Amino acid sequence: MTPADVVFLFLGAVTLGSAVLVVTTRQLVHAALWLVVTFGALAASYLLLTAEFVAWVQVLIYVGAVVVLLLFGIMLTRAPIGRSEGLDSANRPVAIAVAAATAALLVTVVVAGFREAYVELGDPPAGTSGQMGASIFRTWVLPFEVLSLLLLAALIGAIVLSRREIQPPGESSDERPTERPTGPGRG
Amino acid sequence: MNSQLLAQSAVQAPHIEYGQLAPMLIVFGLAIAGVLVEAFVPRRARSAVHAPLTLVGLAAAFVATVLQAGTHHVAAEGAVGVDGPTLFIQGTIIALAFVSSLLIAERRPDTSAFVSDAASVPGTQEERESLVAGDVQTEVYPLTMFAVGGMLLFPAANDLLTMFVALEVLSLPLYVLCGLARRRRLLSQEAAVKYFLLGAFSSAFFLYGIAMVYGFAGSIRLSEIALAVSHSGGNETLLLLGLALLGMGLLFKLGAVPFHSWKPDVYQGAPTPITALMGSCTVVAAFGALLRVLYVGFGGMQWDWRPFMWGIAILTMVIGAIVAITQADVKRMLAYSSIAHAGFVLTGVIASSSQGLSSTLFYLVAYGFTTVGAFAIVTLVRDAAGEANHLSRWAGLGRRSPLVAGIFAFFLLAFAGIPLTSGFTGKFAVFAAAVAGGATPLVIVGVLSSAVAAFFYVRVIVVMFFSDPNPDGPTVAAPSLLTGAAVAVGVAVTLVLGVLPQPALDLAANAAAGLFVR
Repeated sequence: MTPADVVFLFLGAVTLGSAVLVVTTRQLVHAALWLVVTFGALAASYLLLTAEFVAWVQVLIYVGAVVVLLLFGIMLTRAPIGRSEGLDSANRPVAIAVAAATAALLVTVVVAGFREAYVELGDPPAGTSGQMGASIFRTWVLPFEVLSLLLLAALIGAIVLSRREIQPPGESSDERPTERPTGPGRG
Repeated sequence: MNSQLLAQSAVQAPHIEYGQLAPMLIVFGLAIAGVLVEAFVPRRARSAVHAPLTLVGLAAAFVATVLQAGTHHVAAEGAVGVDGPTLFIQGTIIALAFVSSLLIAERRPDTSAFVSDAASVPGTQEERESLVAGDVQTEVYPLTMFAVGGMLLFPAANDLLTMFVALEVLSLPLYVLCGLARRRRLLSQEAAVKYFLLGAFSSAFFLYGIAMVYGFAGSIRLSEIALAVSHSGGNETLLLLGLALLGMGLLFKLGAVPFHSWKPDVYQGAPTPITALMGSCTVVAAFGALLRVLYVGFGGMQWDWRPFMWGIAILTMVIGAIVAITQADVKRMLAYSSIAHAGFVLTGVIASSSQGLSSTLFYLVAYGFTTVGAFAIVTLVRDAAGEANHLSRWAGLGRRSPLVAGIFAFFLLAFAGIPLTSGFTGKFAVFAAAVAGGATPLVIVGVLSSAVAAFFYVRVIVVMFFSDPNPDGPTVAAPSLLTGAAVAVGVAVTLVLGVLPQPALDLAANAAAGLFVR
C-alpha cells in the first residue's frame, strides 16, 4: 500500500463520515457546514487523482457557490437556526432503504467493472488545466458551444416565467382600457 | 522572439465543417435573432416581425439540409454525424416545425394559444388587464427555435455527450412552452411542472447511462463504443446497465410504455400548437437518436437489446391502444394514440436492417404531418372558454361544419391505418420490415392493437357525424390563412403518401441505404 493509497482511503473515510453527519445532525446550519467538509474532501480526492482542474472547480462551485447559496437560503427564509427536532421526515426508513440500495448497486457495479482496472496517470498527468482546455476547445468544442445556447434558453425561459411587465408611468392609463386605471398588484 | 512566443502558444484550431452544420446553425441563429427582436422591436410589432423571420429561416434551413444530400461524413471533430438517415430526419423535423410554426404564428387576439403575461398569477386582476390589452408572450418564437435546434442536433450527435447536451437544449424550452397556454392556465402549468420533473429524472438516467458506458468502453464516441462492444469478452455488467439507463432516457422522450405517464397530461395541458410541435418534431428527433444509438453504438449486441425492445414495443402498442378507448378529451386521446404509434414505429426499429430504417423514416414523416394537421383542427373547434376539447362537445360537428369534421375524420382514418391514407402505407412498411427481420409475433400484436385503436378513432367519427348537435355546442372558427395552410399541408401529405407513396418510399430507402456514418 503506497502512501497515496493511505491518503486516498483517509479522504474517503472523511467524505463518508461527514456525509453521514450532514443527514444526522440536528442543526440545519451544521448540516450545511458538514457539506463543506464533504465537498472539500472530495476535491482533495480529485487532486490526488491528478485532476487538478476538476478539483478546483469542485471547490469554486460546490464549496464556494452551492453551500453559500444554501446558507443564504437558510438565513433569508428565517429558518430555525438552533437545534430543531422537526427535521426528520416520516419517510426516513424508506429514504434509508433507497439510499442503501443505490449505494449497494453502485458499489457492486463499480467493483465488478473496475476491480482489476489500473490507470496509468501519465506524465504530464491527464487532468491538468492545459489538457482539459485543449480537449474542451478542440474535441468537445461543439457540445461546449451548444451548452451556451442551453444556458441562454434557460435564461429566457426564466425571464418569461417571472418577469412582470414594467409600464412606463403615464402609459398604462391610455393604452390599457380597463375599468380600473391602476390595477393592484402590479409592480 | 514575439513570433516564437506566438508559435508556442498557438492553439491548433478545431476543424468545423460549417456547411454541413448549416441547418443547425441557421436555426440557432434564428433563435438568437428572435432574442434580439424581443430586445429591440416595439411590443406591438414583434409578432409581425417574428412570424415571417421564423418561416423564412426554417425554409432556408430546409434548403441547407437538402443541399447536403449525399454527404456521409463525421463533422465538427467527431461530434456530429452527417449522413443519409440524419439528413432525412433533420429535413422532416424542419418541415414539421415549419407547419407547427404556422399554428404558433396564429395571432388573432381571440384565438392565440399563448398566455398574455406568463408571470401573472391565474385569475388575478393583473391577468385580466393583460388579456384585455391583447398582449401575447412573443418569447415563444425564440424558445421554439431553441427547441427545434436541439431536435436537429439530437439525432445527429455522434457521441453521447453531444447527444445529452442536445437533449437538454430541446427539452428545456419545451418545459417552458408547455406552461404558456392562454386558457386553463393551471392545467398548463401543472403539465409544465410534471414534464419538467419527470424530464429531469429521465435526463439524470441518461447521464448515468453515459457514465456506465464510458466505464465499459473508455469512450463516449458511438463508433468506439461499437468497437468495444464487438471486442468485449466476459464482464458486461457496466455495459448492460449503461445501455438500460440510456434506453430509459431515450424511450422517455418518445413516450414508450412504461415511460409514457407524462404524455397525456402534458399533451392536454400544453398550448395546442406546442402539442403539435411535441407530437411531431420531438417524436421524430427522439426516434432518430434511438436509431443512431442502437444501430451505430450497440448494433453489435442486438441479441441483448432486442428482447427488451420487443417487450417495450408490445406494451406500448397494447396499452396505448387500450387506454385510448376510455379517453373523453380529444387531446388526451391523441396523446394515447401517439403512444400507440410510438409502439408501431418501434417494430420498425427492432427490425434493425436497412429496410427497417427506411420504413421507420417513412412512418415518421407520415405520422408527423397527420399529427400536426389533427392538432390544427383541434385549435379550430372553440367555444367561449377557448378550445372545446371534451369529446361530448364535438357531438354533431359533422352536421354543422362538414368540412372541418370531414378533414378530422380523414386524419383519424389515417391514424387508424385505413388504405389510401399515409397511415396505411407507413404501417405496411414497418410491419413488412419487421416480418423480414423475423419479428412476426410482434407484427401480429401490432395488427391486433391497430384494430383496437381503429375502434376509438371510428368512435370519434361516429360522435361527430351520427349524433345530434348540442344547441350550445362549440363553433368552428373560420380558419385564418396560417391555420388553413397547416391543415392543407397535413391533408395533402396524408393523401399523397397514401395514394402515391412510391417517391417518398424511394427517398427514405435512398437515405437509409448508406446507414448511419460511424
